[in-house]
Amino acid sequence: MTSGYNCLVIGLARCRLGLSSNKYQLSNVFLRTYSQYPPHFVKPVYQPAQLDDILESGESKNLEFTPVRAAYVNHTSSIFHDKIVMKFTNHVMKTGRKSLARELVEKTFQEIKRIQLQKWNEAKTAEEKANTECNPLTIFHQAVENCRPVLQLIPIKRGGIRYQVPIPITDKRSYFISMRWFVHAGREKERKIHFPERLARELIAASNNEGRVVKQKQDLHRQCEANRAYAHYRWG
Amino acid sequence: MKAYQEKAQALDALMFEKTTEYEIGRRHLANMMGEDPETFTDEDIDTAIEYLFPSGLFEPRARPLMKHPTEVFARKKVAEFDETGRPFHVLFYTGLPNYYQVLHDLSEKVRELDSFSDRMMQYNIHKDPERTLNVGGTEWVKKEQLEDILLEKLKDKQYEFFVRSMNRLLDHPFSYRVEEFIMKFRKHVQISVIHKEIPKLMFTAEGTPYMAAVGRRKTSTASVTVYGRGSGKISINGEDLLYFKYIQDREQVLFPLQFSGLLGKVDVVADVDGGGFSGQSGAIRYAISMAVRSFVDEQMMEKMRLAGLLTRDPRRHERKKPGWKGARAKYTWKKR
Repeated sequence: MTSGYNCLVIGLARCRLGLSSNKYQLSNVFLRTYSQYPPHFVKPVYQPAQLDDILESGESKNLEFTPVRAAYVNHTSSIFHDKIVMKFTNHVMKTGRKSLARELVEKTFQEIKRIQLQKWNEAKTAEEKANTECNPLTIFHQAVENCRPVLQLIPIKRGGIRYQVPIPITDKRSYFISMRWFVHAGREKERKIHFPERLARELIAASNNEGRVVKQKQDLHRQCEANRAYAHYRWG
Repeated sequence: MKAYQEKAQALDALMFEKTTEYEIGRRHLANMMGEDPETFTDEDIDTAIEYLFPSGLFEPRARPLMKHPTEVFARKKVAEFDETGRPFHVLFYTGLPNYYQVLHDLSEKVRELDSFSDRMMQYNIHKDPERTLNVGGTEWVKKEQLEDILLEKLKDKQYEFFVRSMNRLLDHPFSYRVEEFIMKFRKHVQISVIHKEIPKLMFTAEGTPYMAAVGRRKTSTASVTVYGRGSGKISINGEDLLYFKYIQDREQVLFPLQFSGLLGKVDVVADVDGGGFSGQSGAIRYAISMAVRSFVDEQMMEKMRLAGLLTRDPRRHERKKPGWKGARAKYTWKKR
């Protein structure tokens, strides 16, 4: 299909404009993204709560004439849909095998449930039972939150030497880093333990602030603290 | 200098001559058509020419035309300096006097609005949401159009800077005070007609309302009929929802129904062909969304549009290019 090829050329021509105006949440901007959609197309909002907010606040008036991109393949308005789980599935995915990625993530949650149920059944007192969290989604969210870094290190060259400079991190990137660490932790060597089992154990540990992924975050924070002398290299 | 002046005078004389000719022509046409010459508008002239000089030519621009001279002759800049050589415009020596004049006005207006908002802060008056400038349905003029307005050739960077600066003015909470200035550089966009032409519901012999729609995604085509007063039955190529092995595809089929609240209230019969499971489920989703428009009210339809359900996904498979490994991936680059 040559139309895609042409769209790339047109997209590049328009991308030279690269203007931004942070006026709205669904901003009508010339995006510097290489997509098959024309630059003024806006990303879709599919979750009912967010849509109600937009309609109430009156932002929808501004979007009356703005074309919207097509909904993604993994968007649904169902209550079982979770944005962070969706992102996580994408990070688990390799070479476009979405169905396999989804299977692995579901097996991970099943494994978490299994492990927690065993603990719950073995718990003697009612207090212990109440403290055992059996919902895999809650554990997953808690684990991802516990492993989100607050700063990140970027290499900045000064006087011929590359220093690792701590800089603040955006919310989006912190979630991404946290999820990526989990995926790497699940893919560790020793193929006898499969990905879902390994990942389930990491998630449960991380939700209790233990385990190698939380340690990774703490190491990063320690390094940032150690390099705080270079923090001013961030600016010119 | 004298040559420039003579050119300007010649242009003025030409325009005057052509305008008088046009006006006389207008009166003649009005008389011919039996209309009142005083109230003969430009649109009336167009219809009169079409009637009196019918043309079978295919290209509209080749047909007979009678337009006002300002539309026919491109506007040019008149002499920019007097006979002593002194330029009229203050910013003549920038090379782009009109462009820089606009930027200068813009910065003045920003300053005015800032001082106004300072005064309003004293009385504790903040941005009034009702008086916010509504620029819905408009966008900034394109570079070519700006060049036509200013009669000056601009570079891309200069256009970008102009749009950035105007956005800054637009973002000001009191920008409604300079609406006239902003609207000079905004043009209306084509209103999307999709959601204005919703087809009306059709009825079967038994009186059941139904709507049919066709949806496409990648290389799949789905033709779907949504029957009202149903119980939530779904049939895809004769099989039920389990036609799709993967849960994601089943979710996609149910997405528009669940979103609009019609999940157990309508029956869906779909025929799908071509492509793979993901393309087929996407085609069915689009077709169901288009059919469901006839069953829901305007607000729900707007929600569906913002959710991206009513956009035909234009993405197709991108071809491999010769000399590249894939559509975008290149072969390993070796320096030596």
